[in-house]
Amino acid sequence: MMRKLIVFLLVVALVLLAFSVFGRTKLIMAVHWSDYQVEGVKDKNGNLIKKGLRQYVEEYMALHPDVEIEIQSVPFDEYLKRILISHTSGEIADIYVLYSLWGVQLVDSGILNAPPKDVVDKVKSDFVKPAVDGVTIDGKIWGVPIEVDNYALVYNKKLLKDAGFDNPPKTWDELVEMAPKLTKRNKDGTISQYGFAFLSGWDSAVVHPYLALLYSNNGKFLKDDFSECLLNSKEAIEALEAELKLFKNGGTDPAASVWNFPAGKIAMMIMAPWYETSLKLGFKDRYEETVGVSPIPYLKKPTTVGYTWFIAVDNASKNKKIAWDFIKWMALNDSNGFTRMGELMAKNIGAIPPKKSDIAYFTGELNDLYTSVFVDELKHTYQEPNVAQGQEIKTILMREIVEAWNGRKTAEKALKDAKKQIDEILAEFY
Amino acid sequence: MKYGSSYRKTTLAGYVFLAPAIFFYSLFFGFPVIFSLIVSTKRWNMLIPLSKARAVGFFHYKYLLNNELFMHSLLNTLMYSLITVSISLTIALILAVLINNAKFSILWRFIYFTPVVTPQVAIGTIWGYLYRPNNGLLNSILKLFGLKPVYWLTDPNVVLFSVMITAIWAGIGGSMLILTAGLKNIPQDYYDAAKIDGAGPFKQFWYITVPLLKPTLLFLTATGMIGAWQVFDLPFIMGRNAPIKSIMTVSWYVYETAFQSLRMGRASAGAFLLFCVIFSVTLIILWIFRRGGIEGYE
Repeated sequence: MMRKLIVFLLVVALVLLAFSVFGRTKLIMAVHWSDYQVEGVKDKNGNLIKKGLRQYVEEYMALHPDVEIEIQSVPFDEYLKRILISHTSGEIADIYVLYSLWGVQLVDSGILNAPPKDVVDKVKSDFVKPAVDGVTIDGKIWGVPIEVDNYALVYNKKLLKDAGFDNPPKTWDELVEMAPKLTKRNKDGTISQYGFAFLSGWDSAVVHPYLALLYSNNGKFLKDDFSECLLNSKEAIEALEAELKLFKNGGTDPAASVWNFPAGKIAMMIMAPWYETSLKLGFKDRYEETVGVSPIPYLKKPTTVGYTWFIAVDNASKNKKIAWDFIKWMALNDSNGFTRMGELMAKNIGAIPPKKSDIAYFTGELNDLYTSVFVDELKHTYQEPNVAQGQEIKTILMREIVEAWNGRKTAEKALKDAKKQIDEILAEFY
Repeated sequence: MKYGSSYRKTTLAGYVFLAPAIFFYSLFFGFPVIFSLIVSTKRWNMLIPLSKARAVGFFHYKYLLNNELFMHSLLNTLMYSLITVSISLTIALILAVLINNAKFSILWRFIYFTPVVTPQVAIGTIWGYLYRPNNGLLNSILKLFGLKPVYWLTDPNVVLFSVMITAIWAGIGGSMLILTAGLKNIPQDYYDAAKIDGAGPFKQFWYITVPLLKPTLLFLTATGMIGAWQVFDLPFIMGRNAPIKSIMTVSWYVYETAFQSLRMGRASAGAFLLFCVIFSVTLIILWIFRRGGIEGYE
């Protein structure tokens, strides 16, 4: 009798377990974040100091026992490949965190699901303009912005003071004048301390600061309808010539590396918000007395360039509504005065959250000497254009700029060559 | 009649034994080649089904053969393969001969072989430090001799050669080890007879060692060329800050076209052209070596 009762209870337990497991809706969320950003930051004793994505996901699953969310973290370099391969193999994620530049092709290929109307309305009303521009493709919003990045001038206060400068340059002409005075050379002619260093090594690094100068010179990169590249314009050529002045007057050279800034070998550079932690680690207790941040020196008007990361749902997901419900809870619900995504961005990832209420709430994190300038510069930020083959176009422009930096082409020739190649691509798609 | 039946049975048995190899060869070689050939005639970004991709015929091939960057990458790869393979093989042969009868030959082989088992990413990064313009080891040595510093990895006229130097250094050990094995197979009698006839060390090397090492040299040249034409990692890691036309290789071009520009059709066309080049180069190498006869294999 006892044995029968045990068998019966076991069967009931198994049936309940099966229902609880198989009755749950499973969502897969793909992100490009690193371990601490997903798992949270812990102290030496293993106590959680800063929440990661996992803690928010667990909170959501506790509130919604019928939903299970699996986080798949893929390094940034492999992330787009993962999306491509998952679609070829049919193993898609339901939710993606995406770089705005990839959006056009994903939308054109029918990969992204159009958000519900309430999400679209919230994005339009509650987020800063560069971020809204970042998730807008062909006039439609395709996701919820979660991170907005732009650029500012980062300078070494001590090196500037040693050279007799109390303030950073405000205009590009001032920067061009100051850079050689901040440059020191070895006996063999190589530069031991750079007055200015350009970001290099990947396309955004080279192109974004150039675009900031172009927009600052009242120029445009592409026509509004993307039918033509405008890099042959007077404003575009002047902007690149402005960069080349630094190479000609000895304020920099193509071998400069911004990664030497924490070693005290760079006086000025143009940088993004995500470099703050590296600078703090590099300068340690000398961070506050050494690092200064100010808007990018301008040609005709103050301008910077930005890019956005957003969260979106795959059109092939079988659980689109549930996926959007999670996104609303995570990135739009600010009943406590802030969103959970905003908290993750400001406290853990160290990025600027694009929701206005989050920017207003996390003043402690966003008002420090480094990030406050980037936040303030959001008003001067132009979002990089969401154009088809944006990555390819950006790579072409980067290569031509590097040719000019190395003196292999004049600014005019480099930009003319870039325009020719970019126009060929635009003709394919527009 | 009886002979014919036996012959058919033997032939059938041969095919049965060959079947697994043919199956795997078709699966892992034939299918990808045919698939890439099909993809190369489409405009496909991997995000839509291949069946919905627009057919463009041989447009991608025409585009690539008229594309300045692709032609530069072909030229860079040609230079890279000719120079690295020839120099690293020559040095490896000399080292193999020197080490063959030297004391502590195992230790020498171990030392020269170490770079072969080191990941290319690590090699690229370490050499990147050596090549630094300011405090790099190579420029510090140049400075000692009062020479001007060289911008090893950013000067467009130098960067490809800098990468080649690293590749040669990294590739010597593998070739040397195989050549050492080849040297061990040459009977000592030949050298003894040559000595009696008055041949010096150089003549012994040229008339005995080199001809009898031909099969090994053929193998190393062919595999070296195949590997060199596919080179990706070292130029990609070390040359990213240089003007691209001076350093880009075909594999790099294909990778970038496929996974950054999402142009699988064009990338497949590039890969197929690379396959044709490698196939032709291998045939030429075989022809050159076989023209003079390959002792030991004939």
